[in-house]
This record gives sequence, structure tokens and C-alpha cells, in this order.
Amino acid sequence: MLHAELPICATLKIHMPKEEKTIVVSELSKKFTFPVKTEGTGWLKNLLRPEIRHVRAVDAISFSVTKGERVAFIGPNGAGKSTTIKMLTSILFPTSGTIRVLGLDPTTDRKKLAYKIGTVFGQRSQLFPNLPITDSLEFFGVMYDMTDIQIRKRVIELAELFELNSFADQPVRKLSLGQRMRAEVAASLMHRPEVIFLDEPTIGLDVIAKKSLRDLLVKINNEEQTTIFLTSHDVGDIESLCNRTIIINKGILVKDLPTQELTRTFVYEKYIDLVPPVAFETFPELPDGIRYATKGKNKITTIVDLDRISVRDALKALLDIFEVEDVDVYNTDLETVIRHIYEAD
Amino acid sequence: MKQTRLAQKIIRTQFKDRIYYPSRLVVDTIRVIARCGILLILYSYVFELNNGTINGVSYVTAAWSMFFYFAFSVLVLRHISQAIMEDVRRGTVEILFSKPISYLSYRMAFQVGKGLYSFLVIGVSGALVLALLVGFPVTATSMIFIPTMIVTFVLGVILSLLLYSIIGLLAFWIEDINPIFWTVDKAVMILGGSYLPVALFPTYVYALALYSPFGATQFITHTVYHTWQTEWYFKIGMQVFWVIALGAIVHIVFQRAKQKVSVNGG
Repeated sequence: MLHAELPICATLKIHMPKEEKTIVVSELSKKFTFPVKTEGTGWLKNLLRPEIRHVRAVDAISFSVTKGERVAFIGPNGAGKSTTIKMLTSILFPTSGTIRVLGLDPTTDRKKLAYKIGTVFGQRSQLFPNLPITDSLEFFGVMYDMTDIQIRKRVIELAELFELNSFADQPVRKLSLGQRMRAEVAASLMHRPEVIFLDEPTIGLDVIAKKSLRDLLVKINNEEQTTIFLTSHDVGDIESLCNRTIIINKGILVKDLPTQELTRTFVYEKYIDLVPPVAFETFPELPDGIRYATKGKNKITTIVDLDRISVRDALKALLDIFEVEDVDVYNTDLETVIRHIYEAD
Repeated sequence: MKQTRLAQKIIRTQFKDRIYYPSRLVVDTIRVIARCGILLILYSYVFELNNGTINGVSYVTAAWSMFFYFAFSVLVLRHISQAIMEDVRRGTVEILFSKPISYLSYRMAFQVGKGLYSFLVIGVSGALVLALLVGFPVTATSMIFIPTMIVTFVLGVILSLLLYSIIGLLAFWIEDINPIFWTVDKAVMILGGSYLPVALFPTYVYALALYSPFGATQFITHTVYHTWQTEWYFKIGMQVFWVIALGAIVHIVFQRAKQKVSVNGG
């Protein structure tokens, strides 16, 4: 019986679809060198033989991304995330280590790779400011060697998907930031890239524009299987868009795990809401490890430091102090979790 | 094939961009009238004082030479330096580096497209006005005039783009290229004949105009002189030499510049 099953398992193994690696990064490092003026040294020496300072922006990081994944690559300012994204997109050359994006080496196959990837840099525009968005889309179509028919078809498709039609005839400089960012993403998708790299795409957008952009990216990911690699300081981008989070700090890869597990794995605090039967009159001092987040007559929110006190003991202590009608215990938000990870490193 | 289609698209898009901004054409026209017009009036007076000819050069010839300089300058090819510097300073260079294009080819086509609309309008209308006011130079009737003028114009465009690209690329090493740009630009202006027609240059300045790349960018201004009939092949040869030499320098400098890219922040 066992023998009879073995070939089936083997066959299954052979036909199992192998996870396609879109990005493979191994031991990647980037060192920047720059001259610095030395105080008390002559200007001629500073000019001819300046002191050279080295900064290791990225330090031997390794990770891989599978086709269709939505990855958040996050870290505090100066962590090395933008440097990494720029090495993945052929803009910067690594000091050491290897990168493969869609099987290509960004350092040697820049142009070939550019046909397969899209980039959006939130703080920089790639559109022609004085012309309507359709001119920029057509221009990118030509840049990516698409035929005129393909360009026309894709412009219609993207205009519908990104709801660009209402402002398609206005010069880009007259668009709102939200409209412009939608147009930026549409432009980067003109050639149907397999991977799209987004560097802070929602920076400066209002909540509605952010949601609209996130929804569009998820849609593109679902419909066209576009791999999304994103850096952002906005927790909302990570929570609602990315199923995996990689955290980098001081050039070193700190964490790499599913986004959902972030809050579960790195819970340092819990929140406890207390609702009174009528109203809270006094707000006495709380036991060690518990502090007030908000004090209100109708609701008190406390923060429990799990390193110092358990939820069970905290709850017991709070119920001894206050007369309550309802209690709610919940996790810290993702932003707090990420802040703790940054600070701990 | 792709490069040509892309270059055409860039030029067309920039042309369209300029049409959307008609005020730019007005500014360019005023600039040319103010600078070229005033100089032509002054030279008209000086030539009249000298019975219409200086150093064997007639006023008509000098006027056309100066007009060619100013019409060429409307192409604003020299602004490629600032465009590269701004790309480096603002970090927009990263957007272009992540596209399947040659950065410098893109910038060059972009620059040509930017000035083409003003150049065509001012060039054609200015030539008509000048022809009505002073007539055509005698050399314009020569068989070689139009073909050699076109060749030297195209080579001048390429040479200008290469020369000013080198200065722009220096922005990858130094923060502010403006002092270098200013020096080179003034050399081109003087040796190109913007202040004084090239035929009136002293011998050593003429030699500089002849053998330096600064002067070679503006050989279009030489086409109206009678010496062009015998010197055109030498001058076009000189332009070809500088195109090859500066092309090689641009290539080397750009390869090194790419390694110097360091874009901060996201």
C-alpha cells in the first residue's frame, strides 16, 4: 500500500508549481564614501587630500520575494530602504553582494530589467507638468517600445481603471496630489511591469486618496499578478496593502515576517478600556506597569506594559480600583509595534 | 529604430509643451530682438562710418553672421548643463536611470525639443525680416551654401550638446557647476561671434575660434563669409573631430558619473 502511494507522491511533487522568485537578494551591501572638511587643516589639504568618511548604508542583507507578493520594506529614516530599492532598480551600484530581479542582474542588465519593472517615487514626478496625463502615458508607451495600437489600448484601459478620464485633458500641474499620484502609478504600469517598486507612494495624500491608491494597487496585484515592493512610513499602507513586512534598520535586516504576525509576535503593550456604570469621579494612581492613556468620565483607557505585569494581574488590579460595567482588552496598533522594533534595535 | 522613434516622440512632446506655453516664445523673441537688434543697429552705424565695409566684410554679411548666432542660441542647447545639474540635485536622475533609455540621449533629445518651436518661429520670421531690411549676403547664392550650412548646423547642435553635457555631468562631483558653465558659455559667446562678427577677430582670437570646440560649436556664423567657399571642408572636418573627441569624453565621464550616483532619502 505504502509502495503503491510513493510514486503518486513523487509525481505530485514533480507537478507542484515551484514558487517563482521575483527578487533574490544575497549579502547585499552598499557603502558611500564622501570627503569631509577637517577643522584646523589648511584649505589646500582639504581640497587635495580630504579626509574620507565611509557610511555603510546597507549591510549584508538577504531576502527573496515571490511572484505576486505584496511586500512592505520599512524602516526609520536613514535605515537604508531607499538605497536598497535603488539598487534593485539599477539606479545605484552595490558595493558587494548579489541581486537578481526577474532573473536579471540590475547592475549589468539595466535596460532589459527596466522593461520588466515599474517605479514610483512618491516625492518625484515622472510626468510632463504642462501637458495632459495622456501625453505622458503615450510617451512612456513609446519609451517601452509599445506599438501605437498597444499604446492606445493601454491608455484607455488605465484611464478607466485609475479613473483618469475626468481630468485626462488637464495639464498635470493643475491636478490635485491624489490625482497626480494615481496618474504616476498608471504611468509606471503602462508597459505591464511584472514588479512595481513604490517609494513612499502615499506621502502627502489625504485619507481618501490614500485608500483609493491602495485599493488600486491591490486590484492590479490581483488582476495582473504584479509583484509589489513598497517602502512607506505609513502604517496604513503596510496594513492594508502588504501581506509581508521586511524591517530594516541601520542597514541591517531586522525582521522579515507576514504583516499579520507583526502585531501578534511583537506585542509589548496591551490596551484595556474601562467603562463605568455611571461615571468615573476619581483617577487614582495606577499600579506599576499600568498607565493611563486617556482619562474620561465615560471611559478610561490604560496601557499595560507586558514586560512588567501580565494582562491577568493588570485586569485584577484595575477591577479592584474601579467599579466598571464593561471591559475591553486589545492589542497595540501596528504603528506602536513598529516603533518598538525600531527603538529596540 | 527605437531610439529614433523615442527621440522623435521626445522632440514632439516638448514641441507641444512649448506650444502650451506661448509666453516662452514671446520671451525668446523679445530677448533676440533686444540683443541682436541693438547690436545690428550699432554695427550698422559703425559700418556706415567706414563706408559700409570693415576688413573686407560688408554690413550685410556681418548682420547675417550675427543673426545666425542669435537664432542658434534660441535652441538653448546650453541649458542641458543646468538640466543635468537639476536632475542630480533634485534626484530626478533616479527616475530616468530606472527607464529603458540612455539618459544622455534622452536629455539631448529633450533639449532639442525644448528650443525647437522658438527656433523655427524666430529663425524663419527673423530671417524674413532681416532679408527685407538688409537683403541676402552674396555667398548665399553659392551652390554649397545651403547644404554646407545644414551640415555645419547639425554638427554645431551635436557639438553644443556634447560640450554642455560634459559640464552638466560635472554636477555628479561638484555641487554647483555654474562657475564652470559661465566660463565656457562666455567662451562660446565670444568665439562664436555674438559680440563681434568672427571676421573682425584679431588673428590669435580667430585661431582660438577656429581650433577650439567653443568656436567650432558656432561655425554656422562662418557660412556667410566669402572664406567659407574655400574653408568649409576644413571647418566641417574640425567639427567632426571635436564631435568624436567630445563624444569620447562624454562617454568616459558618464560611465564614471553613473558610479557616483547617490540619491538620498525616499
